[in-house]
Amino acid sequence: MINVILTLLAPIIGGFVYGIERIVKARMQKRVGPPLLQPFYDFFKLMDKRPLMIHSLHALMGIMYFIAEWFALAVLLLGNDLLIAVFFHVIAVLALVIGASSVRSPYSVLGALRELMHMISYEPLMVLMVVALFLVVGSFDIRDVLAYEGYPILRLPLVFIAFLLTIPMMLQKSPFDIAEAHQEIIGGPEIEYSGPFYEALYTGKWIEYIYVFTFVFLFGGSHYWLGVLLVILAFLFINLLDNASARLDFRAMVKFAWGFLIPMAALNVILLALWQ
Amino acid sequence: MGFFSKFRKKSPWILHYNTGGCNGCDIEILSALAPRYDIERFGMLNRGNPKQADILLVTGPVTKNCKDVLRRLYLEMAEPKVVVAMGACAHGGGIFRDFYHVENGVNNIIPVDVWIPGCAPRVEALIDGMVEAIEIWQQKSKEKEYLRDHENIIKTLGVEDDD
Repeated sequence: MINVILTLLAPIIGGFVYGIERIVKARMQKRVGPPLLQPFYDFFKLMDKRPLMIHSLHALMGIMYFIAEWFALAVLLLGNDLLIAVFFHVIAVLALVIGASSVRSPYSVLGALRELMHMISYEPLMVLMVVALFLVVGSFDIRDVLAYEGYPILRLPLVFIAFLLTIPMMLQKSPFDIAEAHQEIIGGPEIEYSGPFYEALYTGKWIEYIYVFTFVFLFGGSHYWLGVLLVILAFLFINLLDNASARLDFRAMVKFAWGFLIPMAALNVILLALWQ
Repeated sequence: MGFFSKFRKKSPWILHYNTGGCNGCDIEILSALAPRYDIERFGMLNRGNPKQADILLVTGPVTKNCKDVLRRLYLEMAEPKVVVAMGACAHGGGIFRDFYHVENGVNNIIPVDVWIPGCAPRVEALIDGMVEAIEIWQQKSKEKEYLRDHENIIKTLGVEDDD
């Protein structure tokens, strides 16, 4: 029941998560920060802007990103294969990339290429993480993972650390906010969207928060208190990292993902397979 | 004036553009983002993107090179939008008035709604000007707005076909 509610209300809950994040980020910088409902005020304001679009495919792909993101979350939460949920997330990112490459703005095209770099950095790790969960739990089904009696985090510590360092790539946070890069390419793939069409991207990002933190939650197994604790720790860690670090090159990101994170996660998977 | 218009004042997003000033005003704008004044309390964000911004904050006298860029930034913003001219240079040139390379202020290119006086204006003046701008912004509708002296400007710039 709770997963149906979480799926249907994902944009609203994600908006609250984003609002909390903006406050937490402001407090870390010794600022007061916006009110908690600020993302929703932004949402309503963008509804009131004059709709401008480049061409219809571009606008469609923006809305497609939002729908595919929500669909991936629904696949994840409504008790399906974790692997399928990872692959539906790829469709969402691809919609964003297709939309961004279909316009003539160089920043948009550059952002689309960098978004693909993000994808080749984090997607193998997501698949490895799901495989690792399969080795521990014995099933790809989210219901079996959430009913698992043991502590997946104790058997997959390296996978968890690797995933923790992958979250900045997925949520466009500071050491790896390469595709978005607000000071450099002014939002990257989202630069040409305006008004109600930008809203689709803005809201799709909130859903991505829920999607990512659901995976963090899975590391608690059937111990939901541990899952909640891990989600809160991951949230604070991501914001601390976002505030404390500067943006890296995309080469550094791919090198870090393929040279450090993926071997680390693979080592954990191999040791687990040998030990079993 | 629909249901959503009430939420305008809660989240004004700013596009800041320096048209060749001395950077004094820009430093004041940056200090407004910093912990002491923190205009994100009011939901204001400094977006670098005209397509998603609501308030165009212009500083500096408009140099000849910047003229076309300023015009395009204004046209790319989605209505409703407000223009705020900040600092003495933006009000008709200031210290640069009648130089060979300036256009004597923002008002000669795009229609300005709010003027913030001073050289450079204090941050309190900037926030006060933003509050004024939000009040004007709430009265505006979604209809297309044009430049002041539109035909003449695009003729002198030689850009008749990109409107």
